[in-house]
Amino acid sequence: MQYSQKVLDHFMKPHNVGKIENPDAMATEGSPACGDQVSIYLKVKPETLVIEDIKFQSYGCASNIATASIITDMAKGKTLEQANKITWKEAAEALDGLPPVKMHCSVLAVDTLRKAIYDYEIKHNLVEKKKFNKELIIEELKKVIYPKVGEDIVTLKMVKYVGFENGVATIDIDIPSFDTHRDNIVEEVKEHLQRFKEIKDIKITI
Amino acid sequence: MKQIYFDNCLTSQPAPEVLDSMMPYFKENFYFPRSFVSGGSRISSDLEKFKKIIADSMGADSSEIHFTTGGTSANNIAIKGYLSANAGKGTHVILSVIDYPDLLANAAFFEQSGFRVTYINADKEGFIDLDELKSSIRSDTIMFMTTLANHVVGTVQPIKEIRQILDSADHKIVMHVDACEAYARLPINVKELGIDLMSISAHKIHGPQGVGALYQRKGIILGPVKHGVSRIDTLETGGVSIASIAGFAKAVELIFNHFNEYNKKIKELRDYLLKEIEEKIPYTLLNGSQEEKRAPHNLNISFDYIEGEAIMMMLDLSGISVATGSACASQGLKPNYVLMALGRNHEQSHGSMKFTLSRYNTKKEIDYTVKKLAEIVKELRSRSPLYNKE
Repeated sequence: MQYSQKVLDHFMKPHNVGKIENPDAMATEGSPACGDQVSIYLKVKPETLVIEDIKFQSYGCASNIATASIITDMAKGKTLEQANKITWKEAAEALDGLPPVKMHCSVLAVDTLRKAIYDYEIKHNLVEKKKFNKELIIEELKKVIYPKVGEDIVTLKMVKYVGFENGVATIDIDIPSFDTHRDNIVEEVKEHLQRFKEIKDIKITI
Repeated sequence: MKQIYFDNCLTSQPAPEVLDSMMPYFKENFYFPRSFVSGGSRISSDLEKFKKIIADSMGADSSEIHFTTGGTSANNIAIKGYLSANAGKGTHVILSVIDYPDLLANAAFFEQSGFRVTYINADKEGFIDLDELKSSIRSDTIMFMTTLANHVVGTVQPIKEIRQILDSADHKIVMHVDACEAYARLPINVKELGIDLMSISAHKIHGPQGVGALYQRKGIILGPVKHGVSRIDTLETGGVSIASIAGFAKAVELIFNHFNEYNKKIKELRDYLLKEIEEKIPYTLLNGSQEEKRAPHNLNISFDYIEGEAIMMMLDLSGISVATGSACASQGLKPNYVLMALGRNHEQSHGSMKFTLSRYNTKKEIDYTVKKLAEIVKELRSRSPLYNKE
């Protein structure tokens, strides 16, 4: 497993590191317990909704720092709508790829950016209310990466069933008992779904 | 620039003398041991010499030494061999939650096959709980296993006291010791310590990769684990590289001819590294034992507010090799289980760095490393959302 030269360049000399004092919006995702945490700060021009300045701080590994660096580069100068459409695959590609086991860093960077954009939209009443349903759960599960191949568990067809009824999310995941990443996947699915206040209980069968 | 290497317990650089000792067995002495024919008999007598070097280094008899393809193979042959051959006497095994992965994986394997396993805890310095050991012994306990010097924090288990506890049972409990980390760094006499089975490895002590040895006390019966033709050894069937065995014996000879001198030097360098880090870098935490009961080559230290893989990568780009307990650097994406069992939190585990020194390290290398490390830690803390101090 090796990092590309581009990852190493962004890790050693990251762009847009730091904090913006009095930001228009900010978000922190991940946690030290998971081994990575990213904060992103935004300055937005209200008339055009263009991201004028963006900075990040990272507690994390080389790829965590590199993905935060590249995502801030990609978002700078874009409108909130354009920036919101940047995917974790595009971020990883911009770094000339990431090792499969590190793909989740790219997901975290994109997630943090989207949450910072959402923070701005909430503050300025720009959010359209979405009805919570199982499609949103499936969208969220697309952020859970299977570390062996660096692809998400929905694309890999590891998610066999998703249900949502009376606040209970029921997920059926196909992962063999001897798989060393089994516990990680289950934990990560829970972590992602616990973010939704609509979900009161999570039932995972493996 | 030459790489500065502080990861000797992952693997170590073979000594030049070791390589020289191996070459004849790739060239003119390429035979397998065999009676009656000249080449084969010469190899047989060379193997006996090598066996005696290993046996003498631990107070054993040559007949009690098996050459294996490494430490993990020795652990498997010992544990699987003993438990499968002695299941009639009992099916209970004791080890600790901080043991080397070989021991934990073998215990889990036997647990699935119907054995009962007790995992005892360790205190915050990494010493296993002897009261828990005492109370865990049952009438069907047949084996206790331990890692002599812990592979993460270097804590040395009190083997003599453990032996006394095991002997207080009214039946025999066999003790298997993984000494891959401790061997050639701490004095070990298998007879005085009452060890029944012990595994060691060459590549952690400047020998070649792919060779190790198992000590099997006379009278301890091991069932076959690897079935097939015995070329070199009855338990490690098939071939074990004779060149590697020659290199292993040379590596052992080199150390044991200067045992105190080398290990004193390594310990002094380790203590100097710790002193320099503690003096020059704020917010650090030593993991493992503060006392003398720590293997001389091991230093494990956590750096607050930052993550270990980033430190490791930056040190590597400065030409310095170290290891980390961070989840990000592990295949399973989990924080180091030993540090977690010692009561460290996730952050302290992710931010932990392990330095394992050798006789080839110098004070100058340590000075350079601490200078670089201080710069790196400062830089990474300046990027961290958890660090708010100026």
